[in-house]
Amino acid sequence: MLQRYFSIALVGLILGLLLVLLFRTTNQGEPTVPGDRAHELTVELKSLTQERAGLEAEARDLEQKLARARLGYVQAEETIRTQIEEATVLAGMTRVAGPGVRVTLMSRTGATPPGAIFAIRDEDLLKLVNELRAAKAEALSINGQRLTATSAIRLAGAHINVNLQRITPPYEILAIGDPVSLRNSLEIKGGLVETLRDWGMEVTVETENRVIIPAYKRPLVYEYAKPVLEASP
Amino acid sequence: MAVEYGLTGGSGVWLGALMAGIGLFLGVAVGLNVPLVLPQAYGKYLGLAMLAALDSVFGGVRASIEDRFDNTIFLSGFFANSLLAAGLVYMGDQLGIELSIAAIVAFGVRLFQNLGAIRRRLLKK
Repeated sequence: MLQRYFSIALVGLILGLLLVLLFRTTNQGEPTVPGDRAHELTVELKSLTQERAGLEAEARDLEQKLARARLGYVQAEETIRTQIEEATVLAGMTRVAGPGVRVTLMSRTGATPPGAIFAIRDEDLLKLVNELRAAKAEALSINGQRLTATSAIRLAGAHINVNLQRITPPYEILAIGDPVSLRNSLEIKGGLVETLRDWGMEVTVETENRVIIPAYKRPLVYEYAKPVLEASP
Repeated sequence: MAVEYGLTGGSGVWLGALMAGIGLFLGVAVGLNVPLVLPQAYGKYLGLAMLAALDSVFGGVRASIEDRFDNTIFLSGFFANSLLAAGLVYMGDQLGIELSIAAIVAFGVRLFQNLGAIRRRLLKK
């Protein structure tokens, strides 16, 4: 008998609980999103997702391009570096080594003092250098002074200056190039070496497998000459 | 037993109503004080369950008036109907069918039938 009242009370309790929960659920904070609005939002979400996918693909593409450009940048840098290296070699700013000849030149012992007519003059060195250049010598030095495009060999008082640096006998000219042709150009019959020997100088020409020519030690600055960028006519 | 202590007996009816009132009051009090708030998506199921429960309650009232009240049937009907209604709606949502309409119609019709029976019975007295 009591069971019945108990069950009625239980049912009432559950009903009340459901009622209140339902009330609170339907009346909570934000209102529900209407159906058409939800549809609209779904469509928008879909289009935005597509757009996002497209943009991501574009980003990937651009990243690849950037990577390629960076690669190109590295290559360009390498090219520039090698060009600079070549340019410094050509300008004589680096120590170079290779096959060539060693020419030594000195007045005969006990001969006339410097400045006398049969002493070695700057012109003799100039002629030798000129001859070696004509035989395609790629690098030249006189007593450790590298000859560059702006080098001068001249007589200054009783001494010879190369690169404005005084040098003293015996003179030693180093040249890198084809050793045989360099040697032949000097020792040709009736050539320069023969003439110098006739004048009483001791001249030796040796071919070498490896001569080392030092770098030009002063800064190479052009103050007036500037490159012209337009294509020359 | 039902005849002897039936809810039709003067004090029995009022005791039953009192018990129902107390239960309802307790349920409302508990529901208001529980910090639980269900997501809105569950509102639909809850509503259907409540409709089914209400139907059971009216069914119980009608049965007691007609002296056919059975505690087991009443309780089992109450829970089974609520759960079934909520489950049916959930299934309908999963399948894309508006089964909630079927539940609302079915329970609504039964509700009004029960109400009508109770009214007639009371008025006939």
